[in-house]
Amino acid sequence: MNVEDIEKEVTSIVAEVTELDRDEIWKKRDANFFKELEIDSLLALEILALIEKKFKIQIPEEKLVDITSLTATIDMTKSVLAESGRLQEA
Amino acid sequence: MIMNFEEVKKLVPQRYPFLFIDKVVELEEGKRVVCLKNVSGNEPFFAGHFPEYAIMPGALTLEALAQAAIILFKKSFKQDNNPGAVFLLAGVKASFVKPVFPGDQLFLEIDVEKVVSNAAMVRGIARVGEDTVAKASFTFATADKTSLG
Repeated sequence: MNVEDIEKEVTSIVAEVTELDRDEIWKKRDANFFKELEIDSLLALEILALIEKKFKIQIPEEKLVDITSLTATIDMTKSVLAESGRLQEA
Repeated sequence: MIMNFEEVKKLVPQRYPFLFIDKVVELEEGKRVVCLKNVSGNEPFFAGHFPEYAIMPGALTLEALAQAAIILFKKSFKQDNNPGAVFLLAGVKASFVKPVFPGDQLFLEIDVEKVVSNAAMVRGIARVGEDTVAKASFTFATADKTSLG
């Protein structure tokens, strides 16, 4: 799994859950989910579950607090994949 | 049978005419539950839905699935003795495939997608015999009723 694929897939997941356009969410990738994008903790849980399913990984509950923006979510996904030895560095 | 109606009532807070589980037929804690609702022609909702054509409201099939999810959650996370816990449905995606009629045995299957300490995502299938009648995914949170104001 390379970094570009992770960015693409996580962006699609967040776009699906938020019902926002993919390009729009990418433009706002550093925006705070809770303060700026009206995402609540249950939507964050949905994002987490879809990431688990897509990448076939288990993400521990404590990582839920890392889902604060698209960038942070991508970083969290990268770190979990890296821990499981499945991240290819560019 | 895993749980009878009296045991179901200890876990599900809803009561007549809003309790839609008769018994639990399969339970794998933390993963899966299958419950049964026998749909009778005497169900109160058939009086109005519809007077000349009895058909179970899809919204109530979803409610039945959500009640099955409550059983799974309570059995899996040992909240049997927490009467203050309420379940708040936060999100539902559903599709209805076939109608449900009086006389149908409605099997309600719930599989866990993700659980954290105070919330869960599950997916459900309601079927009559081998036929799927509805599919849904639910996100719900738990809270203490005293915190709801």
